[in-house]
Amino acid sequence: MRSGHAWHDRHLGYFFVLPATLMLAAVLIFPAFITLKASVTPEGGSGWNVTLAHYQKAFRDPVLLQTFKNTVAFVAWSLAGHFALGLGLALALNQALPGQTFFRLVALIPWTIPDVVAGILFRWVLNPIHGAMNPLIRMVLPSFPAEFQWLSSPTLAFPSVIIANVWRGYPLVMVMLLAGLMAIPRELYEAAAVDGAGKLRRFFHITLPGLSTIIIIALALDMVWEFRRFALVVAMTGGGPGTLTEVLSTLVYKTYFQFFTFEYASAMAILMSVVLFILSLPYIILVGRKQ
Amino acid sequence: MKSLAALSSERRERRVDAIVSYSLLVLSAGFACFPFIFMLSTSFKSEAEALSLPVRWIPKQFTLQAYSEMWTLKPFALYFWNSIVVSGVTAVLSTVVGALAGYGFSRFQFRGRTSLLAFFLATQMISGVLVIGPYFQILAALELYNTLTGLIIAYVTICLPFAAWMSKGYFDSIPKELDEAGLVDGASRLQIFVRIICPIAVPGTVSTLLFAFLLAWQDLLWALCLVSIDEKRTVTLAVAFLVGEFVIQWPMLTAASLIGSLPTILLYLFLQRFYVEGLARGAVKG
Repeated sequence: MRSGHAWHDRHLGYFFVLPATLMLAAVLIFPAFITLKASVTPEGGSGWNVTLAHYQKAFRDPVLLQTFKNTVAFVAWSLAGHFALGLGLALALNQALPGQTFFRLVALIPWTIPDVVAGILFRWVLNPIHGAMNPLIRMVLPSFPAEFQWLSSPTLAFPSVIIANVWRGYPLVMVMLLAGLMAIPRELYEAAAVDGAGKLRRFFHITLPGLSTIIIIALALDMVWEFRRFALVVAMTGGGPGTLTEVLSTLVYKTYFQFFTFEYASAMAILMSVVLFILSLPYIILVGRKQ
Repeated sequence: MKSLAALSSERRERRVDAIVSYSLLVLSAGFACFPFIFMLSTSFKSEAEALSLPVRWIPKQFTLQAYSEMWTLKPFALYFWNSIVVSGVTAVLSTVVGALAGYGFSRFQFRGRTSLLAFFLATQMISGVLVIGPYFQILAALELYNTLTGLIIAYVTICLPFAAWMSKGYFDSIPKELDEAGLVDGASRLQIFVRIICPIAVPGTVSTLLFAFLLAWQDLLWALCLVSIDEKRTVTLAVAFLVGEFVIQWPMLTAASLIGSLPTILLYLFLQRFYVEGLARGAVKG
């Protein structure tokens, strides 16, 4: 009876996964293949003429290079901010202090609103005349310019976008680390305290090792998400001033739908996806090993 | 037996911990809240007051004008309807198809299962910009450009991998003996799935449903590329267009943004636990 079922099951398994697999193939894999093909097709050309001209252009394109650097900085600073704030808050919330439920809910707010709204929010707060930021800073620092243009500033536009993105993304890292902290057995800390281990030693010998897996998962995922972040930048600056806050996803979008250079946009999209795939390997391997 | 000195030093340490923690919590609560509160305050101002100086945190004249004008000056009821249709249909379709796949992955050993699972996981990492160009062309060729159907097809597909992984996690936690009992009773695999396993997996299914809903609700990239006419805009897209207008009406924009965020605010607070569990197991919704 068992072997009969096993034969049957092998085919039934396909039946269950088939609809999802077919949809993925039709809507993601097929278009991805077209993108790949377009990326090696001469501009305005058709058929199977193959050229690497778009990729050669991409590697020499100063705008793309600048955008790539922006994206790397955007991801690195966002991750650093998310981790620092997320870990600090998770540690603070894990102490079961009075009022922690309230603080936990408040800390979650930025995560619950859509990316677009987060971008709009900061655009409004940083509005040079009517926004709340300039008056707030002038209360502490009266010499600060009255109508400082945050989002047109060559030096501060990009940091502003990063801060908005730190604001948007830290709660998720916080929630994940908090779940990890709560899973560390209390007895470990008590035993260490009896042994006379100080706070720092307890942190480095119990807390950090206990959190290591969840930290890696959180950062590996966050890296992928920040690398493809789109709506926040679009709503907040649209990539400007100039291309100072442009990131790869906004640049590819513009190259398709505003500059209408389909083949070149495709080459960019392929290059971006290769990087994205490499960045996502740590997470895929980690989760795969668990299964 | 601890000495008195050790006890008091421990107590002092704990008090220092509490002070440090509270300062951090209060500071970051300020950071988390202040843009949000400013937005809330703006939404209750009149157009004139939002643009008057000095900048006020509490409206001098509290008004609901922005909340009533957004439905008449702009067709926000229509935008909401579009968002509800698109997100609702997406949620149901992707949860059903994803649950089928999740059950297949959870209960059957078949050739290619591992690679297919890895493939589902990898597709969650793809950025929409990889396929948005050709997808636009294909939809245009099928006359599905500027339709909600086109958006739904796109969203269902993005939601599928994560719905499959998430429901696989829930099905894995349901004992296989239940399936076997059903087989002994002569039920078919599909009957077992529908009648025995699905009812048990309802809590997990509901959270998958809500996550898919949220993903579709918040999307900007696909809506931006696949919809160019006003009547088919979703709330998220409409809000993004408001911010691009030459003269931005901030009270209306902030009011619309807040109303548009209500579903996400409520659902995320409700769902956070499921979300974190899912992430560690491969259900990635970014």
